[in-house]
Amino acid sequence: MPDTQPASETPTLLAVADLTVSLGHGRRRAQVLRGVDVAVAPGEIVGLIGETGSGKTTIARSILGLTHIDGGSIRLGGTDVATLTGWRLRAFRRAGIAQYVFQDPLRSLDPQLTIADSVAEGLRVRGGLERADVRERVAAALTLVGVSPALATRHPGELSGGQRQRVAIARAMVLEPELLICDEPVSALDAANRIQMLDLIQHLRDARGVGVLFISHDLGSVAGITDRVAVLYRGRIVEQGPTAALLTASQHPYTRLLIGSAPTLTGGAADRTRRTELREQLAAIETG
Amino acid sequence: MFIRAIRTPLGAASVSIIVLIVLVTILGPILAPYDPLAQDANHILSAPSSAHWLGTDNVGRDVLSRLLAGSPLSILSAAEAVAIGFALGVIPGLLSVYLGRVFEWLSLRIVDAFITLPFLVFAIAMTALLGNGLQQAMLAVGILISPGFYRVTRAAALTAASSQYVEAARLVGASPWWVLRTHLWGKVAPAVAVATAGAMGAGLVIVSSLTFLGIGVQPPAPTWGGILADDLGYLFQQPFGPLYPTVLIMLTVGAFNGFADALRDAAGIAGHVRILGRTRRPQDAQTTATPEATHV
Repeated sequence: MPDTQPASETPTLLAVADLTVSLGHGRRRAQVLRGVDVAVAPGEIVGLIGETGSGKTTIARSILGLTHIDGGSIRLGGTDVATLTGWRLRAFRRAGIAQYVFQDPLRSLDPQLTIADSVAEGLRVRGGLERADVRERVAAALTLVGVSPALATRHPGELSGGQRQRVAIARAMVLEPELLICDEPVSALDAANRIQMLDLIQHLRDARGVGVLFISHDLGSVAGITDRVAVLYRGRIVEQGPTAALLTASQHPYTRLLIGSAPTLTGGAADRTRRTELREQLAAIETG
Repeated sequence: MFIRAIRTPLGAASVSIIVLIVLVTILGPILAPYDPLAQDANHILSAPSSAHWLGTDNVGRDVLSRLLAGSPLSILSAAEAVAIGFALGVIPGLLSVYLGRVFEWLSLRIVDAFITLPFLVFAIAMTALLGNGLQQAMLAVGILISPGFYRVTRAAALTAASSQYVEAARLVGASPWWVLRTHLWGKVAPAVAVATAGAMGAGLVIVSSLTFLGIGVQPPAPTWGGILADDLGYLFQQPFGPLYPTVLIMLTVGAFNGFADALRDAAGIAGHVRILGRTRRPQDAQTTATPEATHV
């Protein structure tokens, strides 16, 4: 039987319980998440893995209050964020408990603002700091993610893809969050930058004790840095548990298909046969 | 964007003419060699001379003095109409992105209604209703210009408001005002600047048309349209008479339109900018992407 309960016994930083979300309007309205349970403890990296359209980003957006939810609860740092609206939601966001790292940093950084202005935005919105303090904290955040503060006066278009993603993480980290939600942060990067980015996320967890919800469709990235993994399939968490255990003894056919789909250098025809069998098993579960 | 625009030949020429027209507007009444209302029975419809550089009109008034004295009324009236259109179009255009569906629906229906009204007829009706003054006519023109500003502003604001960097700002607790000031205005301003420059040219055409018809200004107060109307009656006696105000109007309108084109090219604004029912196309299809569109 798949383990659908949060495995962590430590106090949870994020606890999503029985989350149900529908998107669209009228006849096109469809339920995209059904009874999702996910938890992240402080200093824990939890992977959320699933195919495109399975609802990974919708979970992230729901946690951050960007998507209206039909039911369930989302407790973040002890606050039920699903009940917050208007100025209460803004005040909660200004506290900076949870920060989001978008998939494509080029789209998430304002092309007209300098790197310094983008990173400083959260601090300025929150207020209460002198200009010199803001500058100092921006430089510290850039240094933390491995970007030279000398680049602070540049615009996003003048940086490489890897540098931009680091800047996006710096923008999140400057508010000293307890939870970092990374939505496919490495999918737009080449192999070298991908490894550096994964190392950076692990470093942030180790150095700052930040909890991370790491969303990806790439099993290799998830396997590399997460403590636990939740597998999302068609809006449901079908299996979750410690990463090593789940990868070696997965119960659900979809998880096995995901693992089996990972390309190998020697697999060839054997891999294809195995994937076909898994797809047939999955289809049998869906129809039966 | 402004600097890039004036570095182009079209932009430089347009701005030079606009600066000249603005100087004439400010200094025109001082520079006028004669009293623009003073009649001289000994110099009726006289040809250009050293005493009267552009000749005199049918009652012996110096044409140059009347054109110079008529500049403030013509240009400032157009500016007033554009300012009214700007205020009534840009602010609701921005708010329509933020104030929810009811305001959005209402504002769109009002704009649709305004677009159907013909300019001159509406302006004439307004002056008939509120009194024959340029202020009343300009209020009418301003109201009818506002849909152009509304649509341009709303289109630019909608694109920026749905971007991820605006979402990122909301995620750090930014208020709608902060988002507007920090992220939206920078994306909306180029489109609005182009619309403003274009609307100035179009506004001047309407002011000239109204004053040509004698609406909004009481004779003998000089305006470019009024001077043109007066001189047209004496076309055979003074063939060059109507040419001076016509050239002045065409030059000014052309300068504002040219500046609008230069601004639009410098900003790389996409597609068509619709102002007062006219559709303006970018000259270069390669420059059709908005600054944010290249990244979104």
